[in-house]
Amino acid sequence: MIAIWRRELQAYFYTPVGYVYMGVFLALSSGLFIVQMLAQRSTDLVTFVGLMSYLWMLLCPVLTMRLLAEERQKRTDQLLLTSPVSLPAMVLGKYLAALTVLLATVALTLVYVAVVAVYGTVFPAETATAYLGFVLQGCAFVAVDLLCSALTRSPTAAAVMALGVNFALWMMDLVTDSVPQWLAEVLSFLSLYARNEPFLMAQLSFASCLYDLTVAAASLAAIVWILDRRRR
Amino acid sequence: MIELRNVSRSYGPFQALCDVSFTVPERGVLGLLGVNGAGKTTAMNVMTGYLPPNAGEVLVDGKSLQREPRACKRRIGYLPEVPPLYDEMTVRDFLAFVCQLREVAGRAIPDHVREIIDLCALNEAAGRPIGKLSKGYRQRVGIASALCGDPATVVLDEPTVGLDPRQVVETRELIAELGKRHAVVFSSHQLSEVLKLCDRVVILHQGRVVREAKLDELSGEGGPRLRLRAMGRPSRLIPALRGLEGVRRVRPLPDSDGAVTSCEIEGAPGERNLQARLFRLLASLDAPILLLMPGDDSLERVFLKLTSGENG
Repeated sequence: MIAIWRRELQAYFYTPVGYVYMGVFLALSSGLFIVQMLAQRSTDLVTFVGLMSYLWMLLCPVLTMRLLAEERQKRTDQLLLTSPVSLPAMVLGKYLAALTVLLATVALTLVYVAVVAVYGTVFPAETATAYLGFVLQGCAFVAVDLLCSALTRSPTAAAVMALGVNFALWMMDLVTDSVPQWLAEVLSFLSLYARNEPFLMAQLSFASCLYDLTVAAASLAAIVWILDRRRR
Repeated sequence: MIELRNVSRSYGPFQALCDVSFTVPERGVLGLLGVNGAGKTTAMNVMTGYLPPNAGEVLVDGKSLQREPRACKRRIGYLPEVPPLYDEMTVRDFLAFVCQLREVAGRAIPDHVREIIDLCALNEAAGRPIGKLSKGYRQRVGIASALCGDPATVVLDEPTVGLDPRQVVETRELIAELGKRHAVVFSSHQLSEVLKLCDRVVILHQGRVVREAKLDELSGEGGPRLRLRAMGRPSRLIPALRGLEGVRRVRPLPDSDGAVTSCEIEGAPGERNLQARLFRLLASLDAPILLLMPGDDSLERVFLKLTSGENG
């Protein structure tokens, strides 16, 4: 698993994918920071982090698109599946590599916190809670998007599919006002964005933590099942 | 040692392997022969653990590949038809990665990689990205990756396809060298290649094993075949040749004329002294030999016989 994690991590930076992902994320989040924080002379980092979480929807597909689809397309999965590495370890190695790049990007956004700390006041507990929700949401998005990569042999198709799924997850939250009450409750329960709201209100929600982690674990389990079924 | 026991494998309604059983010995080169779609690649995918069988069992040194995949896969190196390579990695990094996958101890990896690079003559390419290598070099890197972790058995699926003649010769030499230290299983369409490299062959046809034998057993089955051109009237020489001990069949060829006899002679199965007998006979008949050369290959005939018709 460690070998696969390390290789995938290297692959992000041997190819433009890692640089594009981090560069675009930082460019867009900087734009948000200027518009939301600097222009308005605001120190409300919690709202800013909440807005940044929409970038997962757009950019996580870039991170996951080639991880499994390209292995199938280039038939390099034959190397992995004939090595003494189990399917769960292979999937986990790839997932953790994507997560490492995601966490590195999150770490870079702490510069914004530092800027606010220099010129204003940072509320550490509220900010940390918002960041926790932000990271957990990212973990769930990466796993869901990795599942899309397991469904096709084309990285481009995987990215488009992941974008569609992410968009649907966002829409679930938006349509709650225009659907029957019971359906709205189901959609809110399932929405990754609705689940993030407690974190933005400085509530350390155990249910939301568990939900994000469950989505990630269920997606990874589904990937292992799909890869195993495909060989049978 | 790998043993396939009654292995079957299908892709949807298509039965790719049906009740296949054969054994890969501990040393030497085993050739898997068959026409396209015979099941060679599927057999290799099953014996390396890439695909599970629908029925039957694969045993690696007595252990079940299905029940103990990790221990078994450590004993097998595999080069599929399309070498599984990461283009962005350098050859050295890639081989080190494969060593990690195959659980080679961290400290031993640099020396092990160096040894494999030397064996596969990859020194010039070691620091270059795989994506920038020629097809011949890529194939070598694929073979090198199959050797990582020093597996007891190396499985190579059509390793010489698409290579230029020089690369084919080099790859064959490498396979012959590997056969001295490992059990090598390789598939090929080229019978001449099998003749040069293999000790044993397994012939697959329509997903079934139609023959498993040592190469010399198989070559002896059809009997030797020779093409002869000698001075002398056909009406005199052909009956004499037909009466010679060890001759099974004599077929006159159209380029015979009144003074020269041209024919194809098939010896009896296992016959080894046909040429000597021919020399003596023709000398006694005062019929100088103008041409004597091997006819079509006996393995080819056996292969064609086994792989044609409904029952192979």
